[in-house]
Formats: sequence, C-alpha cells, structure tokens
Amino acid sequence: MASIAGMQICLLAGPRSIHQRSGTSINHGLKTSVSFWRTIAPRLQPVLPQLRIACAAKPETVEKVSAIVRKQLALPDDSAVTGESSFSALGADSLDTVEIVMGLEEAFNISVEEESAQNISTVQEAADLIEKLVEKQKA
Amino acid sequence: MAFTLRGLKVSPNSASLEEARSRVFDFFKTACRSIPSIMEIYNLHDVVTVSQLRSTIASEIRKNAHIDNPKVIDLLLFKGMEELGNITEHAKQRHHILGQYVLGKQGLVQDSSTKDEGISPFLKSFYETNYF
Repeated sequence: MASIAGMQICLLAGPRSIHQRSGTSINHGLKTSVSFWRTIAPRLQPVLPQLRIACAAKPETVEKVSAIVRKQLALPDDSAVTGESSFSALGADSLDTVEIVMGLEEAFNISVEEESAQNISTVQEAADLIEKLVEKQKA
Repeated sequence: MAFTLRGLKVSPNSASLEEARSRVFDFFKTACRSIPSIMEIYNLHDVVTVSQLRSTIASEIRKNAHIDNPKVIDLLLFKGMEELGNITEHAKQRHHILGQYVLGKQGLVQDSSTKDEGISPFLKSFYETNYF
C-alpha cells in the first residue's frame, strides 16, 4: 500500500521534469544565450526539490493528519482531504495552519522546528515532515 | 514587574506587519507548548483537554486579527506574554483559569433548573454586556 502511494508520487514527479526539458528546447529561438548555455552545459537544470521529498509518508500517517485537519477546520467527515489538498484551499488562514502544526506536535509527540514549519502547505508535506521527525527521534 | 520568571522577551517595536505576524505565531507556539504544564499546575485534566485550550487561545488571538498597526499588535503581544507568564508561574488560581478560558461564552447565568426558566433575558445577558 505504501509502495503504491510512493510510486504514484514518483510518477507524478517524473513527467514534470520531462516537460521542463522540452520547454527549454522549444524556446530555442527566443534568446541565443539560452541555446548557448544548452550546448555548453547540458546538465544545467537543477534537480527539482520536489523530486527529493517524494515517496515518503505512510498512508496511516496521512490519515491521522487528515483527521486532525478535519477536526481543526470543522469540516464534515465526508469532505475530501487527500495528500495533495493544501490548507488554504480547505479554508484555513495562517493561524489555523500554526494551530494544525501544534496539534500534530501534540498528537505525534514531536517538536517541529521554526524553518520547517514555515514551509508546510499541504497535508502530504506535513505527513512527510512528521515521518522524518519520528525517524530521527527513534534513532 | 510584568515578567518575573519568563525571560524578558520584549524587543523594540516590530518594523513591519510581517514581523509582528511572525511574533504572534511565536507567542502562540510558546503558549501551546506550555499548555501541558498549565494543566498540571491547575489540575485541569478532568475538566478540559489540550486541544480545547489550544482553540481557546487561538480564538483569543483571532479576536484581534483585524488590527493592522504593528505597534498595537506589539502591545497586545506584551499583554499576552504577561498573562501567559502570570498563569505559568501560578500567580493565578484555578477558578480564574476556569472562568476565563474554560467556560464558554454562554454567560454565567444558566438554565440549570425549572425555576430558572422564568428569569428574564435581561438578567441572563447581564454579565455579558450593557448593550443589547
């Protein structure tokens, strides 16, 4: 189950990188400097950061996170809260986001650092961060 | 003075609304992280849960969410830190905490028995406000 979810996320990340490369080759005529760079340094594209954080969180962690989010935002039980739903799309303002992070801290008995807390915007990111912190705690 | 045990965290005025906003979040996180010890001090384990206290704190912050002057926000944060400091150093008592943060805003006069149902709505809102 976890591997299937992981594979889905990796597949999602894959086509994005392919589109990136085809995009720059289509813009060939716009600026000569772009084509110049492409001939000199073909490996210039940086590795997309999203590719690294993929394939991480377990489904039950995502489920727990969704339950906490649902309770915090007072959503009905049948509303769609998936890994990709962002907090602002579900109707949370910034204080709600901080409160959700605090609720996750309490539920999973972890402590989230300042910088990592700023970047959480979707349920999936929150679940990944939790997994990483739980791993670090166990080690 | 205002802060006796909590380290004096008052800094010069926030330069911008963004800095004030991040300070509000830091204050909220400090408050949330001290909730377990507050429940321990005032023996609130049977009365309320951590998430209820957390949402009470959030609603208090949200009451002032419409303010956009950084200096006003700084002052409100100062008062909030003072209140939090008082609570964590046990300068308050259990009934203060219960009345201010645990009991809902239904008013202190409730319909507890049959004879109370005859009370006028004037008396029921007496503790809330003068204007209704």
